[in-house]
Amino acid sequence: MKILAIDTSTDETAAAVTQGIKVLSNIIWSQASLHAKWGGVYPSLAKRVHLERIDWVVSKALSSAKCEADNINAIAVGTGPGLAVAIEVGLAKAKKISLLLNKPFIAINHVEGHLLSVLAKPKTSRQQRPKDIVGFPAIGLVASGGTTQLVLIMRVGTYEILAHTIDDALGEALDKAARMLGLGYPGGPILEIMAKEGDPKTYNLPIPMLGKENRSRFSYSGIKTAMYKLVQNEQPLTKEKIHNLAASFQDKTFQHVERLIRKVLETYKVKEFFLTGGVSANIELRKRIRKICNEREIILSIPYSKKLCTDNAAMIGIAANFKFQRGEIVTSTNLDLVDRVPRARVDKKFPWEK
Amino acid sequence: MLKFVFKKTMKTIKTGSIEKIVDTLKNGGLVIMPTETVYIAAVDATNHAAVQKLIKYKNRPFGKPFSVGVADLKMAQVLAKMNQTALNLYKNFYPGPVTIVCSGKHKVATGIESELGTLGIFVTDHKLTIDVIKALGKPITTTSANASYQKRPFKIKDLLDFLSIKQKGLIDLIVDAGEIPYREASTVIDTTIDDPAVLRQGEIRLKDKNEVLSRSEESTQNIGKELWQKFEKYFGQRALVFALEGPMGVGKTVFTKGLARAMGIKDEIVSPTYNLEEEYDNGKLHHFDAWRIENNEELNNLEFSKKITDKTVIAIEWADRVADEIRKYSEEAIIIWIKIEYARGENERIVSWGTL
Repeated sequence: MKILAIDTSTDETAAAVTQGIKVLSNIIWSQASLHAKWGGVYPSLAKRVHLERIDWVVSKALSSAKCEADNINAIAVGTGPGLAVAIEVGLAKAKKISLLLNKPFIAINHVEGHLLSVLAKPKTSRQQRPKDIVGFPAIGLVASGGTTQLVLIMRVGTYEILAHTIDDALGEALDKAARMLGLGYPGGPILEIMAKEGDPKTYNLPIPMLGKENRSRFSYSGIKTAMYKLVQNEQPLTKEKIHNLAASFQDKTFQHVERLIRKVLETYKVKEFFLTGGVSANIELRKRIRKICNEREIILSIPYSKKLCTDNAAMIGIAANFKFQRGEIVTSTNLDLVDRVPRARVDKKFPWEK
Repeated sequence: MLKFVFKKTMKTIKTGSIEKIVDTLKNGGLVIMPTETVYIAAVDATNHAAVQKLIKYKNRPFGKPFSVGVADLKMAQVLAKMNQTALNLYKNFYPGPVTIVCSGKHKVATGIESELGTLGIFVTDHKLTIDVIKALGKPITTTSANASYQKRPFKIKDLLDFLSIKQKGLIDLIVDAGEIPYREASTVIDTTIDDPAVLRQGEIRLKDKNEVLSRSEESTQNIGKELWQKFEKYFGQRALVFALEGPMGVGKTVFTKGLARAMGIKDEIVSPTYNLEEEYDNGKLHHFDAWRIENNEELNNLEFSKKITDKTVIAIEWADRVADEIRKYSEEAIIIWIKIEYARGENERIVSWGTL
């Protein structure tokens, strides 16, 4: 069962071939891949017009997987959440291929893709199915530049959003803090490097939503404002100040995440915790969440590679594999009903699925 | 003494000195050499023929740029416009490794800079790399020596295993330093978004001007609500554009939350920075963020003009970045310009507004 998956819902143009839960190829066209394999550069909107690169990315995904288009069993695509004009490109391409090859079409929620990215295995893995120890229910954190949410996963395909952000996403807050420190945008990964050298106790930034964890909301706009004022006061910035500011900011934003995770783990007894999204590549965040999981004897699962943390298409293929097994495919006669869903929620079905 | 791999057999090791590398580069050759992160494929970045050879070697699709290594900040500034952010990064990261993307000055061969004219500058303190660049007096390409989408090469064997005979034939010299210890790839950061040229688009002149003091987030939301009530009568007849300006964290999204609530939108209004646009109630309200938008054209890629003709409500943050584009619609749409500034008190903001 080979799936060709496409995702253009955000900045990256991505295509992948997956087989069951194995990733045969995972191609991402982003500026980051030009210099390093993954770094954290977001192409500008001009570059976000995925049109001119989608063909190359798809054929590269097929050739890297040593796979002919005819051998593909289904086509999957991320249809939201994301930017409408961007989703459009991947969606149109996927529909076209599906009709051309007369293969089943599977629409995937981008956030579901992130959640299930921890189930992915490299192609060299002997494992065919998700490890048996995956115990549902599980709780997943999706923390990226575009979203931050805690999701209860009853089983694959059944989700409940437990907490989400009311303003900025965690990755966005980190990126913006880096920008305030003159480290460019997006600078989340750079902020992480700077924070390693600094002392998080130097500056007294507020922990977001302190004491209001019951509301189950992430909020990063307050600390962003506090950081902006602090940075203004600390001008001119020295290397040492930058290190300490980065450490303080990262520490407080992560404490907010930790507090909310602890809160939901009090209410929901789960066996596993899925840490996903671009920010899950942050070592400090992993360390802190691992500690919480260890205290509660919960298994922590993280995607096996960084490429699966940031936006990619392999995760769409993994999610599609399960959806295919459940028979949730779109037939060619219904293909016209499938549309982009910029504000799709992972706990809701797509309009055409009702 | 450096160890060189003998080209014919790809096995025999000869010894030589740095001059051998520099000579090869001078003659337009392609050299595989070590850095602190990976083996790189180096050519003289100003030599057109050499760069063409590299493109063939890397098997790159058209339009994918290459980063270049420089000896020092001076050389970097000859090649690219380094703005304050770029200088900051250089200073803070020196000695690297980091790749700083700047606006190029077109001093390198075609194919090195991106389609948009940006140039990636690789900052390193790797002694051999620096010595070679210094001796050559020119920048070299620092792209990793693997063909596109193959494994990152930490030792020569890793590399040779994945190369075709044709690719091997393009190599003029291999410098073998054994296995390079694993290290994360250099971080890439684009600084061009910070170019002041993009940020400033000239003064915004308003017909009328009102100013109020907000003492809390709630009162900023209320100002959003009041402005909606003031202009609601035009809803459905003309597009309404709430153009928001103000520094980071000042409350532009907070204002939009108030506006949306007054419009009867129940969904949570979140920051549109990442997605560039969020759409509420099937297109009743469009919430844009121009912060990551680099020019006016990009706003049109978001079908901005269509939203104006559809007579929708648009809230656009960082509107000053695309002021010229917004101004074009001053006949068709009602444009309300809102400026939010930090005031003296902790939670105080000065909110001023007027129509274009």
